[in-house]
Amino acid sequence: MSLHVLVVEDDREIRTLIQSALSVEGFVVQTAVTLREALALLQHRPPDVIVLDLGLPDGEGQELVRAVRRQSSLPIVVVSARHQEAQKIELLDAGADDYLTKPFSVAELLARIRVALRHRGTALAAAVTVHELDDLKIDLATRTVLRDDQPVHLTPTEFELLARLVRSAGRVVTHRQLLAEVWGPEYTEHTHYLRLYMGQLRAKLERDPAEPRHLLTETGVGYRLATE
Amino acid sequence: MRDGLRACMKERAVLGPGTGRWPGLAAWYLPLGDRGAVFGAACVRPAPAADESGREHAQALCALLGQALGRLHLGHSMQAAQREVERQQLQSTFLAAISHDLRTPLAAIVAAATSLQTQRERLDAAAQVRLLQSIVNEANYLSTMTDNTLQLVRLASPGQVLQRSWESPEEIVGAVLARIRQHDPARRIRSRVPEGLPLVRADAVLLAQLLTNLLDNALKYSEDEIELSVEVQDRTLELCVQDRGPGIAEGEREAIFQPYVRGDRAGRHGTGLGLAVCRAIAQAHGARLLLHPRAGGGSSFCLQLPIEPQPTTPEPPP
Repeated sequence: MSLHVLVVEDDREIRTLIQSALSVEGFVVQTAVTLREALALLQHRPPDVIVLDLGLPDGEGQELVRAVRRQSSLPIVVVSARHQEAQKIELLDAGADDYLTKPFSVAELLARIRVALRHRGTALAAAVTVHELDDLKIDLATRTVLRDDQPVHLTPTEFELLARLVRSAGRVVTHRQLLAEVWGPEYTEHTHYLRLYMGQLRAKLERDPAEPRHLLTETGVGYRLATE
Repeated sequence: MRDGLRACMKERAVLGPGTGRWPGLAAWYLPLGDRGAVFGAACVRPAPAADESGREHAQALCALLGQALGRLHLGHSMQAAQREVERQQLQSTFLAAISHDLRTPLAAIVAAATSLQTQRERLDAAAQVRLLQSIVNEANYLSTMTDNTLQLVRLASPGQVLQRSWESPEEIVGAVLARIRQHDPARRIRSRVPEGLPLVRADAVLLAQLLTNLLDNALKYSEDEIELSVEVQDRTLELCVQDRGPGIAEGEREAIFQPYVRGDRAGRHGTGLGLAVCRAIAQAHGARLLLHPRAGGGSSFCLQLPIEPQPTTPEPPP
């Protein structure tokens, strides 16, 4: 059965390009030009993933993200221009799954959609509990972290931080989300906690902490645990 | 008193006892300036109606004050006019540079795309790949240029507030390298980032843009290895990008940070915006961006960022 993608984009050229690039890959593509149209389509038939452009003529997308999140964990990939940084982070905080910055390549778009689909239905439950890439193996259920098959000792906070990234492996997790979920909602402005603990995690898990393979920085947005 | 001063400025005449105007006042009110322009008013007390010489004395003093204010005012308006001229000059340089720098890559994109559109069957696979690559390269170049232009305009606008928070220099460098290594397949950039660097109060997105511009330039203008290093000197974080390129003549070392000036006038690419953006970003952070010739040839660009007292760290884990 083919997967359905809903593309919400007001620019005709980009909408057509995304549609053709995704159709070639075997997706069934629906398009919407406005948020209103997107909401109507969602009522009719929920897709498997939404690609949502920022700066639509009839709103900023928050409404759509909230409406979707009230009902399901349907993955949402936000597409933004570089000057829409703040708005993009708001949508991610509100529950969007990932983002792409314009201009993007088709390869990047497909990679984001692939990761988003992998997490389908898992955003609410902690279904992803095992992560493995190259020299790193993490099992959240047994609380084990192996590097080159050697156990790595993590402090409870380091483990919580890593676990949060594992649950969203491949997707960006914002600073605010990490701080609120690992330290508590009153710590969302304490970005230096993140810098320090990510530094410690990299020192323990990365071959070259200065050029990480696993714990990637999304400058100004958050962090991403690499899956490929 | 305020009403008196206002009335005096409005009437542009001396008011008060003995002047024939508003004799009931307890003071003399004298305009600063002449009939042409009044820049203020003065209030003098006591003001006996009979003290004519005192009033004349006050009037003479106020006339002098008025002249001085007039000269100041003239100076200011000349400066404002000068600034406006400079702004307009910058704007026209800006437009000229932008339109030139937009046209060249756009021409390349249109040429490559139309060639594919009309001649695809007759082009061999390698030629098609070349044309496609050139479309991608030129478009990416336009995108970088747009980012730099917008950033420069944004940083130059008054009331610009940075999104500063505690940032890790190691992370910023790592993120920039991850992106830029995609255009550096030969891995010419060698980075030296020591462990345990302090955090800095910075706008991470802007610092990343600064570093990206420096590394892009180094890759563009030199063929050899490029060194990226981060060091702590006293209370300063020093981030340096050093190349073995042709270097920059002494007379141009300051000019190169101005918008639309670039090292290689003959070169096809480069808007001359990259370093201007770097300098503006450094200044917005209270940092310095310095250019030195490098011993043995090449250039060395160094950002010197002040290190603030470090934030209190979370409780050490049990």
